[in-house]
Amino acid sequence: MLMQQLLNGIVVGSVYGLFALGFTLIFGVNHIMNMAHGTIFMWGAFAGLYAVTLFDVPFPVAVLIGALGGGLVSVILDWTAFRPLRKQGAPEFSSIVSSIGASLILLSLAQQLTATRVMRFPFDIFPIVAFNFFGLRIQLLQLVIIAIVVLMVVGLLYYLYRTSFGRQIRAVAVSEHTSKLLGINPTAINFQVFFISGALAGIAGVLIGIVFNSVHFMMGEPLLLRAFVVIILGGLGSIPGALIAGLLIGIIQTLTVAYLSAGLADALVFSTLFLVLLVRPTGLFGGASAVARVTRR
Amino acid sequence: MMSFFNSYTPLLELALFNALLAFSQYVVLRAGVFSLGTAAFAALGAYAAAIMVTKLGMPAWLGLIAAVGLGTVAGALVAVPLARLRGVFQALATLALVQIVLSITLNWVDVTEGALGINSIPKTIGLFGMFCAVAVVTYLMSAMGSTSIGRAFDIIREDETVAVSLGISVPKHHMIAFILSGAIAGLAGGLHAYTSYSITPNEYGFNMLVMVLAMVVLGGRVSVWGPIVGAVVLTALPELLRGLQEYRTVVQGALLMLSIIFLPRGVADTLIGTLRRRRITLASTKAKAVTI
Repeated sequence: MLMQQLLNGIVVGSVYGLFALGFTLIFGVNHIMNMAHGTIFMWGAFAGLYAVTLFDVPFPVAVLIGALGGGLVSVILDWTAFRPLRKQGAPEFSSIVSSIGASLILLSLAQQLTATRVMRFPFDIFPIVAFNFFGLRIQLLQLVIIAIVVLMVVGLLYYLYRTSFGRQIRAVAVSEHTSKLLGINPTAINFQVFFISGALAGIAGVLIGIVFNSVHFMMGEPLLLRAFVVIILGGLGSIPGALIAGLLIGIIQTLTVAYLSAGLADALVFSTLFLVLLVRPTGLFGGASAVARVTRR
Repeated sequence: MMSFFNSYTPLLELALFNALLAFSQYVVLRAGVFSLGTAAFAALGAYAAAIMVTKLGMPAWLGLIAAVGLGTVAGALVAVPLARLRGVFQALATLALVQIVLSITLNWVDVTEGALGINSIPKTIGLFGMFCAVAVVTYLMSAMGSTSIGRAFDIIREDETVAVSLGISVPKHHMIAFILSGAIAGLAGGLHAYTSYSITPNEYGFNMLVMVLAMVVLGGRVSVWGPIVGAVVLTALPELLRGLQEYRTVVQGALLMLSIIFLPRGVADTLIGTLRRRRITLASTKAKAVTI
């Protein structure tokens, strides 16, 4: 029973990690707390769902379309909400406010589009196959989800640390001004960062939509709130941190729901955030450079 | 005139309540703190006030003291870990605070009645009481502007490095801002409980947080007119846009985006700045005319 819950926690947690990855990427590169990331996740899920219901596409194509949809919405968001602020050199606070405004618009449009209904992926979108391992029941879907998440994380790490695009992204993260002097085009870098971040959120959206068998306009909010906890626990802008913290939060939450109460889960997860801020504000994987950006002295 | 007041009393009370919430958000933003915790403090105040009257049978004035007290204590407690953190982390943590308070009020059914909320709270405060509270808070806030605390807030908001070099302790002033914000929001919540007959947990959630933030961003963060202008505009807006009921959230979101991009200082502060500049240019041209 405990092992089964642990497995469920790992599956949910790895999707949290995938969601938080895009959030932490934008945070690390552009120093923006993107409050509209939850709505991008939701629009990604919508894109996948409409592709399935209207054009009857198979599972892998649905995931791909979800990624594409999420990426597209994310890039549009960058152009409308963040680029004007970047030009002015506005403080961090402005981008938080602007992204809250954008998320209200995206949320409300989705509500209009779906008439506040809860929608479902068709049951035959993914074959229900289960394996038994030492008394553990593992569904094929769970295995596929973990595989997709691992693939995405490895792909992102390769992209960031082994390609020239990734080097440019990391340069912009350190200083946009200096990288401009070195001949890097920050507009192109921001385009990539927002597209990747949105695509990761879109994939997470389709996966969560299938796992919980519901897609609706408010589905992003609980994930966004958990992503805050995940990135603080994992350490600012840290990619392995986001993944490990995502897994941890997923496990904590599943175990609390299973053994204590569902109502307590939220309070516990969010109290973790305060505990981390009090004891170790840089999170599990924050280095010395993170200390200066988190705290004042 | 009297009938006008009677038919619009609920709306005016709502505007005054929103103004109090806006002041709670204003005082933190003025000090450069990115707290989004106003909704949480207001929820604590409202529940403290409601429980004091309905469950413990205390008089309303004692309930209000409890509301302000709980808000103040919550503000001080939150400030301990947050006053030394940078802006974005303050925003994240206070957002989490709103969620924690929401899940406590939803799940601690014995005390808070859960999702149903606390109902049939006797209405002990009317329009006049609300108006007095807003007037007192407005006066205190504008008086604060000309004390050392208010000036320190302004410097910290404009440039923290300068503030530190002038010997201003940033964490200390952030703590003061958190405490003031908690006290004002607690008062607002308590008054709301005594004017609206019932309170529910979801009133004090993300929607309130966004609305309060929008009021101060639209109105302005420096002059005391900012939160008042923001509260009046955003309370009246839904009434004016009745025909566009479904698109209210879109309008609110667009307003938030447009005002932060094109009017980053807010309506009131921009207006006051323009008037002041005009007065200075007028005075200087006059002075020139005299010397010639």
